[in-house]
Amino acid sequence: MIRRTCICVSFLALSACGADETASSPTAPIITHPIGTEEIVTSNRPAPEGPLSNPLRNVYFGDLHIHTRNSYDAYLFNVRATPDDAYLYAKGGTIRHPAGFDIKMKSGPLDFLAVTDHAEYLGVLEAIDTPGTEYSKVPYAKDLFSSDTSKVISAFSLFVDSLVSGERREDLSDLSATRSAWQETIESAARHNDPGTFTTFIGYEFTSAPETRNLHRNVIFSGTDVPPLPFSEFESQNPEELWNWLDELREIGTEALAIPHNANAADGTMFEYVKWDGQPIDRAYAEQRLRNEPLVELIQNKGQSETMPLLSPNDEFAGFEVRETYVGSTMPITKFAGSYVRDALKRGLEIETEAGVNPYKIGFVAGSDGHNAASAYAEDNYYANHGVLDGTARQRGSVPPPDYESWEDYYADGRPAGASAGSGGLTAIWAEENTRDALYAGLRRKETYGTSGPRIKVRLFAGYDLDGIDLATDEGVDAAYRQAIPMGGDLTAKPGSTPQIAAIAMQDIDSAPLQRIQIIKGWVDDRGQSHEKVFDMACADDGTVDPLTHRCPDNGAEVDLSTCAISPDKGDAQIAGLWTDPEFDAGQNAFYYARVLENPTCRWSTWDAVRAGIAPNPRRPATIQERAYTSPIWYSPADVD
Amino acid sequence: MSTDTSPRPGLSSLRASGSRAIREPLFQFLLVAIVLFSLNSILNGGEAEGDGQTITIPEGRVLQIAESYRLMSGRAPSRTELEALIADYADEEIAAREATALGLDADDTIIRRRLQQKLTFLVEDSAATSEPTAEDLAAFFDAYQEDYILPARLAFRQIMVSPDKRGDAASDEAAAIFDELKAGADPTPLGDPSMLPKSMAPSPETGIAMVFGQSFAATLFASEEDGWFGPVRSPIGLHLVEITSREPARMPAFAEIETQVAADWMAENRALARSEFEENLRERYDVTIEWPAVYRDGPAGE
Repeated sequence: MIRRTCICVSFLALSACGADETASSPTAPIITHPIGTEEIVTSNRPAPEGPLSNPLRNVYFGDLHIHTRNSYDAYLFNVRATPDDAYLYAKGGTIRHPAGFDIKMKSGPLDFLAVTDHAEYLGVLEAIDTPGTEYSKVPYAKDLFSSDTSKVISAFSLFVDSLVSGERREDLSDLSATRSAWQETIESAARHNDPGTFTTFIGYEFTSAPETRNLHRNVIFSGTDVPPLPFSEFESQNPEELWNWLDELREIGTEALAIPHNANAADGTMFEYVKWDGQPIDRAYAEQRLRNEPLVELIQNKGQSETMPLLSPNDEFAGFEVRETYVGSTMPITKFAGSYVRDALKRGLEIETEAGVNPYKIGFVAGSDGHNAASAYAEDNYYANHGVLDGTARQRGSVPPPDYESWEDYYADGRPAGASAGSGGLTAIWAEENTRDALYAGLRRKETYGTSGPRIKVRLFAGYDLDGIDLATDEGVDAAYRQAIPMGGDLTAKPGSTPQIAAIAMQDIDSAPLQRIQIIKGWVDDRGQSHEKVFDMACADDGTVDPLTHRCPDNGAEVDLSTCAISPDKGDAQIAGLWTDPEFDAGQNAFYYARVLENPTCRWSTWDAVRAGIAPNPRRPATIQERAYTSPIWYSPADVD
Repeated sequence: MSTDTSPRPGLSSLRASGSRAIREPLFQFLLVAIVLFSLNSILNGGEAEGDGQTITIPEGRVLQIAESYRLMSGRAPSRTELEALIADYADEEIAAREATALGLDADDTIIRRRLQQKLTFLVEDSAATSEPTAEDLAAFFDAYQEDYILPARLAFRQIMVSPDKRGDAASDEAAAIFDELKAGADPTPLGDPSMLPKSMAPSPETGIAMVFGQSFAATLFASEEDGWFGPVRSPIGLHLVEITSREPARMPAFAEIETQVAADWMAENRALARSEFEENLRERYDVTIEWPAVYRDGPAGE
C-alpha cells in the first residue's frame, strides 16, 4: 500500500519539472480596473454573470461517458475527434462524424460532460499511426491501419486479447503517449469548464474485463488535482485494487469516484455476494465499495442494466434495450443475476441482513459510451456510436444489405439478425448551480437519475405527512426539502407513521408526453429473502391506478410506423403523484425508486427505415418507451449507523 | 440549464493562422533541429551531475521532490518516503540517459513534438507577461467589434394553462385568465403550477427554446406586445406571457466585456509572439527540398 502511494507521488514529483506545461494553458488573466459607480447603475447592463445558486436546486443534464480518438478502439473506428471536440459538441457545437457528415445535438447544449477515454493504451494508437515514433515500429502497425479489414481485425485482436488478459503488451510498455494523452484530457477539461454555464470533469475508463466479463468503471475526479497517470486494468483487473488506489488518493486530497457500467455484460460478476477472493462480503468491503462507488450507470448505448424479463417476470416494461451478447463478442449472455441493478439493490438488502451493511446502496446515472467524441442521445437524430463501423443505416442493421430489397428477403435467406445498440442515455443531477463543486456534491449525494436519452425532469421525495405538498410550486419543493428525503437518501422509521412518496415529472420539450410514473419497490422478508414489485403511482390522461393490478389503464397512445408521428392527444406534459405503499411493513428494510415512462415513440432503427422508405427491421423493436430512473430511497426500520 | 453563451471572438481565426505554420512538418523539423542543438548541452550537462557511472542528485532537486510530496500530501515526506521517491527519480534519470545515449530520442516524433511544444510555451509565456494598456484594449475591441455582438435577449413571465388538466375548456379558461390579467389581477395564484420556471431572466432565443420549445421561443421573439398576451402554445400547455424586458442584439459597451477583451488580447498577443518567433527562426535557415520524383512534377501549392 505504502509502496503504491510512493509510486503515485513520485510520478508527481517527476512531472513537477514539466510544470511549465500547465502554466501555459490558456487561462484568461483577469485584468481588474476600478469601475465607476455610474457604470454599475447603467440600466441595460446585464445582470452580474456567474453562477446563480438556487437552494431548491435545478436539474442539470450531461454525460459522464464519452470516448475520443485517445481511446484505442475509437482511433481504429477512424475517430479523430479530440477531447476539445467532445466538449465543443457537448456545448452545442457541430463536429464531423468519421464517416464524413456533420453532427450536432438536436436539443441544445448539455450542462456537463466528462471525457472518459480508456486508460489502457490511452493515446497509443495515434502514436503507432505516427511515422517516426518508437510506437510506429511495432510489427503490426501496418496491419492496424491497413485497408484490408481482415488484417485490421487480426491486429486489433492483439489489443482485445491484452485487455481480456489484463496484461499490457510488452512492446507497448512505454507510457509516454499515455502520459501525453492524459495531459490532453486534463487540459481540455480545464479549457472548457465554465462555471455557471458548462461543467467539465476529468475522468477516464478503467476497462477491466477478465475473461470478457465486463467490470468496466468510469473514474470521475472532483477537481483538477489528479494523479499523473490513471490506474488501469493493467495495474490490476480487480476493482478492489482500484478502490485501494482511490482511497490512497483521497488520503492525499484527491477526491474521485468510480461508476460501473454495462453490468448487463458482467456475466453475474458485477454485483456478487462475495469478494474477489470468493469470501463473503464483510463490513470493510461494503464500506470501501460504497465510499468509492456510490453510483452505477443504468443505461447506455450497449443496453440497460436496470433489469430484464427473466429477472423481473412481472415487470412488463423490463424488456427494453436488453443486451444479448458480451461486449465486443457474438457470444450470447447466459447469466443475468449479479448483472442487473435492481437485482443488486435486492442483494444489498439481503447482505445487510447478514453482514449488517449494504454494499449496493447505489444511485443511478446514465451515459452514452459514445466513441465518436459525441452521441446523439435522440432516436430521430441517431448516427450510432462507433465511428465508421456503424455510421450508416446499413451498417447498423436498420436498412438491409445491398443484395436484399427488404428485410423479408434477407431473413428468408436465413441471415442472422446481428447485434443492436441503443441510442444512449443522459445523467441528470439536482444541484444548486452548474459548477463542478455543486454537481460533484450532487453525485456524492446520489441526488441523480438516469434517462434513456430525453431530458425528462423528475423530482422524488420520501417522508412523513407530505399531504398537500405540490412539487410543481417553489413552496412545495421547499417544504419537501425541509420535511422529506430526496432521491438517493435514507429514510428511517417514524413510529406510528407510514412513509409517503411524492414524485413529479415533466416531459422533454422535444420528445413525447409522459404516460406514467412507477414506483419500484424491493424488500427483504423475515427469512432474509428479497422481493420486488412494480407499482404505478400516477397516470396520464386522468387515469387511475387499478388497486388490484397496481397499473394505470392503457392510455392508447400510438405510433404511425410509416411516419413516426405520435398520438397528438395522449399522455401528459407533466404527471405528479403522492403514493403510500399499500404493502408497507414497518419492520422490513426496503428501497423505492421511480421509473417514469414516455408514450411510445419510434426507435432509431424505425426512423432510419422511414427515411430510407422501407419497412423497419422486424427483429428489432419498432417502438420504445423512453424513460427516466431515479436513484432509490432506502427505508430502514432502525437508525442507519 | 445553460441559456447563454458568450462569444469567443477572433480566437478561432487566430488559432488557425498561428497553428498552420506550426503544423508544417518541414517547419517542425527545423525548429526541432535547433531546439535539439541548443538543448544538447543542457541535457548532457544535466543537473543531476556526474558522468558514466555516477549520478549526483543535487540538493535543489531533492528539495523539489520533497516539496512536490508536501503539496500533494499536506506534510513533508519522511526520510524513508523521500528515499523511495529519490530512488524512482534516479531510475528515471538513468533510463533517460541510457535512452538518450542510444539516440532513442532522436527520431521519435512524440519527443520532437514535445520539445517543439516546450519551446512554443516559452515564447508564449514571455508574451503573456506583457500587460495590455488601455489603448491596446480599445484598439483591439475596435478591430474585432463584430465578434462581440450580443444576441437579442428577452425576459418574461408566464402563466401556464394545462390542456392535460382542463381538457377542451383550456382555451376558454386561458381567455378568462387573460382578461383577469388585463384587468390587473395578481398573476401569482392563476394558471396551473408546473416544473417550468414562472419567469426567465434575459435569455437568447436558443436558451428559451431549450426550456419552452422552438415555436414558443420564436413567437416571443416575433412579438411586439406590451403587457400580457397570448395564449402562446408550447408542448406543455397554453401560456399567457408578459415580456418584462427586451434587449435587441447589440454591441456591448467596452466596460461590460473588458475582461473578455483582455483575455482575447492576451491570446492574440501570444499567437503573434509565436508566429514572429517562428518567422525569425525561418529566416535563419535555407530550406532545400529533395523532391521525390513522384511529387516533383505535380502542380505547386500556394
